Amino acid sequence: MNDIIGEIDRAVSAAESRAAAAATGAEIEAIRIDYLGRNGLFPALSRRMGEIPADQRKATGGAFNTGRTRIQEAIEAAQKRLSAGSEKMDSIDLSLPGRRSTAGRIHPISRMADECAEVFRRMGFVAVDGPEIEDIYHNFDALNTPMDHPSRDPQDTFYFPDGRILRSQTSPVQIRVMETHTPPVRIVAPGRVFRRDTPDATHGMNFHQIEGLYVDKNVSMADLKSVLQRFACEMFGPDVKIRLRPHFFPFTEPSVEYDFSCVVCGGKGCNVCKNSGWIEIAGAGMVDPAVFKAVGYDPEVWSGFAFGLGIERLAMLKHRIPDLRLLYENDIRFLKQF
Amino acid sequence: MNISKKWLSDYVAVNCDDATLCHKLTMAGIEVEKVETNSTVPAGVVAAKIMSREVHPNSDHLSVCQVFNGKETIQIVCGAPNCDAGKIVPLAQIGTVFSTPEGEFKIKKSKLRGVESNGMMCSEEELGLGSDNSGLMILDDSIVPGTPFEELYPGDTFMELEVTPNRPDWLSVWGIARDVSCLLGTEAKLPEISITESNEAPRADLVTVEASDLCHRYIGRVIRDVKVGPSPAWLVERLESVGLRSINNIVDVTNFVLMELGQPLHAFDLDKLEEGRVVARRAVAGEKIVTLDGSELELDENCLVIADAKKPMALAGVMGGEFSGVTETTTSILLESAVFQPSNIRATSRRLGIGSDSSYRFERGVDYDMAELASVRAVQLILEVAGGKLEGKAQDINTGRPQEVVIPCKFENIRTRIGSGVTNERIEEIFRTLHLGVADVTSEGCVVTAPLFRRDLLREADLVEEVARIDGLDKIPEIAVAGKCCHPQSEDAWMPLQKLRHLAAGLGFYECVHYSIGSVANFLSDSRFTEDDLVKLDNPLSPEMSVMRPSLLGGLLGAVERNIARGNRTLALFELDRCFCANAQKFPEERNELAFVLTGLRHPERFSAELKENYDFYDLKGALESLFELLNITNYRFALLENDDRFRAGHACAIVLEGKTAGAFGELNKKFTSNWRTVYPVFAAQIEVAAILQAASRGVAKYKAAPQYPATSRDIAFVASADLSCGDIIDFIRRKKLQNLESVQLFDIFEDDSLKAKQQKSMAFSLTFRNSERTLKDEEVNAAVEKLRNALANELKVELR
Repeated sequence: MNDIIGEIDRAVSAAESRAAAAATGAEIEAIRIDYLGRNGLFPALSRRMGEIPADQRKATGGAFNTGRTRIQEAIEAAQKRLSAGSEKMDSIDLSLPGRRSTAGRIHPISRMADECAEVFRRMGFVAVDGPEIEDIYHNFDALNTPMDHPSRDPQDTFYFPDGRILRSQTSPVQIRVMETHTPPVRIVAPGRVFRRDTPDATHGMNFHQIEGLYVDKNVSMADLKSVLQRFACEMFGPDVKIRLRPHFFPFTEPSVEYDFSCVVCGGKGCNVCKNSGWIEIAGAGMVDPAVFKAVGYDPEVWSGFAFGLGIERLAMLKHRIPDLRLLYENDIRFLKQF
Repeated sequence: MNISKKWLSDYVAVNCDDATLCHKLTMAGIEVEKVETNSTVPAGVVAAKIMSREVHPNSDHLSVCQVFNGKETIQIVCGAPNCDAGKIVPLAQIGTVFSTPEGEFKIKKSKLRGVESNGMMCSEEELGLGSDNSGLMILDDSIVPGTPFEELYPGDTFMELEVTPNRPDWLSVWGIARDVSCLLGTEAKLPEISITESNEAPRADLVTVEASDLCHRYIGRVIRDVKVGPSPAWLVERLESVGLRSINNIVDVTNFVLMELGQPLHAFDLDKLEEGRVVARRAVAGEKIVTLDGSELELDENCLVIADAKKPMALAGVMGGEFSGVTETTTSILLESAVFQPSNIRATSRRLGIGSDSSYRFERGVDYDMAELASVRAVQLILEVAGGKLEGKAQDINTGRPQEVVIPCKFENIRTRIGSGVTNERIEEIFRTLHLGVADVTSEGCVVTAPLFRRDLLREADLVEEVARIDGLDKIPEIAVAGKCCHPQSEDAWMPLQKLRHLAAGLGFYECVHYSIGSVANFLSDSRFTEDDLVKLDNPLSPEMSVMRPSLLGGLLGAVERNIARGNRTLALFELDRCFCANAQKFPEERNELAFVLTGLRHPERFSAELKENYDFYDLKGALESLFELLNITNYRFALLENDDRFRAGHACAIVLEGKTAGAFGELNKKFTSNWRTVYPVFAAQIEVAAILQAASRGVAKYKAAPQYPATSRDIAFVASADLSCGDIIDFIRRKKLQNLESVQLFDIFEDDSLKAKQQKSMAFSLTFRNSERTLKDEEVNAAVEKLRNALANELKVELR
């Protein structure tokens, strides 16, 4: 060991203890100047390197570099320590409430309609629209509804003095689309429909449906089932199963009602599904040949399916909303939840 | 439609448990809506033999018995006095659950005074089979230990079925039995139905059908010397099992046959019929009838009645008359079995507001052939339960047997439509087990004849449904649906509305959805409309819900009022939905409107001065400006709105999009808000959605390079007349077309008392100059500003500072 190495070691210990004790930026700066500054110790030592015998030069150089690094680190550590302290002194009250812009929300009915439309768009459907003031032909006749079907009764459907009605279902949109399009057709029609029901927990004088229509060559019930299954999974998760049950509607043949496995209990049985494990969702079926004839499609060439969904029902199921009227009250505390 | 399992089992063997039966019915399209059983014995109770009885070591009233349950001998501690060895008794095994009014209790392994007990022997009362609680129920020695109690005392199961209107054949026990036979693979069989009929012709005018368009078949049979009285127990039980009350043996038989075969029948007291005959005719306008339920109905020529020589005696197919029914004094009856025109019965029933089990079936359509079988069945049962003698042959007036529908079908078509691989043989088997006629079977298809009780089968599509539902909808495979598009996105009408809603929500507003039907008063709060402009319902639910909304204002006012009443005073709401107008001069019949409401605190989440800030006019204005910016709409302006009493005068603007008025916004007129418990002003906006979408559809944003050369700014401050608006000054500056002027912005406005007294205000604007080609020189900017200062002083008469 030569003098220089000894000198480096002493300088490093001195600098480290000074840095550890430094209480101000000026003190730290003074350490830097004393050891690393232009006229400081290390540049001076560096100039003396020529004096070192060649065989010791490597060891001395190593000690020099290590020493300089340790002093730099000591200075940086001291700076960090000081600046952390000073930041704390300047700190604002971080716990004060942030300045928010109001969040804004989509109503659960539109949100559900949007979500449905999105799911079906991914399957190649387009979301179309139709009038809410509808004529008897599109709402009933073209949909193969018998002339004395109870749904035509003024007891159940809202009429206008000119004989038109408020549409009782979104199905007339099917007819309007088929009247103006040649197949193939893949549409969904979200929208408001009207029934002459006094509002209660599960009824309203209007509610929303989304109608689906798929017309192409060789469409089968298997296509229908797969579309509904896909919808069920996208809406309520991959484990939801669907079940078709035979039913009757004038505008489809075969007709089915379809159920989802209970989205609350997973099918084990609970209040929501009345212990059946299944929740009735809506109706569907293969488009009745009479409907195709009404719009001028050849039922020998084209086949298709149609389905309907109740938007409020899905929203209530999804968000566990107990009373349909809550959806129409528009209490801000309700609207903020969804 | 109610049905009981016992009754069903008279026609078809039900070889499965209740849950399976209900599931199969539901999955075949006969939805079981409710199931109930009257069995009181819980599952787990079996017959058991007491092998030995010993006295309990620690009790003088308990016995320790060894009991054989059919499988093993177990020890039971029993308190009953009669638990003697050798007796056969009911044993509730471990795990049996009893339901009592106090709740459920479960039989568990236990120790009674230190002796182990593995179940409970029961009394009659404990099993709900009687009232004897003095000791154990003692069973017949012949009963084999281990026999489940359900077998010894089977209860009945009652099901409520939802029958769709296309399947009137399911409105009878026999009709359900036919489908059950198909579902369970067991045979359905009617009991022997036959009577001995004399060859003697009935009197020629016993039955006259004048309205053969409404009465397609009328079979009349006369039975003399009947003894009207109570029905036998089996008949009462059957009727009660489907919720019908026993009346007397004759009426009960007609009701029994109605439920059994689905054919409504009616029994007249022959002696009460004038001239002892019936006429099926249209009622004469003004004719009256008092029906069985005591109501007097006034009839017209659309009603079919069954009359005697003078008066209507029954409202055909709906309800019998009060004065011609069977009573205790009746000795002779005329039994009616008829087929009426369905839509006429439905119309009559609905018009008069009365219905019955009969009308329910007639309006859905009854089976022409069944009318005769049911008549015979009823005669058979009446003779059995009420005695009497059938007089002569039946009088059967009819328009002829309807044609059976013949449907050729192709197996491949059925498979394609269902999307499953159901085989030709299976399809044929399904048709046959459903009692359909099958002929000309080839490898390609067959010809199906629909029996008269299946009037719903008309086309191949109807046969597809039969195969699908019987083979099982759960057997249909799922095939991944291809996401191919056949419509351009421009056809998507929902997407633009969805985007607008999301933008509005993004600006901080909460969406509302209201009923679109409401009251005239509420909707005329929007003074743009008069009562004539409203679309009125012909059959409203109430005056408060009688017209279609012409705009969203009424609904939103209601929402704000309701919220404020509940203490929610800070509100940022919007609605985007359909509105209606009867006046084509003003608006199309249906259109979409977008509306906003804003009131309350700007930062309710903050504190101090910020917490006191409430929303003002400029918050709503800014929201609209941001909305337009987000939609890339630049061609809009806000103009002073005058004479619109929706808004506070001088605090409202018209929204002008592309040169046309498309809406308005401002502070709401105090007449709406003065009664609300809030100190904050309420602001509202309304815009036509079509105008927004049109303005937003103009072209695509084009890239503009950011300026390369620096801008230079200059400020101008002055005192101006108080009525000079910021917009006036900016317009004035723009009209001067200063060279290189890029933008003008107000940066200060100041009014103190002395300025106010002189009706003046101090304003300061910042002008930004820039040239896209070069850096501007101070001199040229100064020259431009000087020119402007002179113009302001000379033309607008401001005092420059």
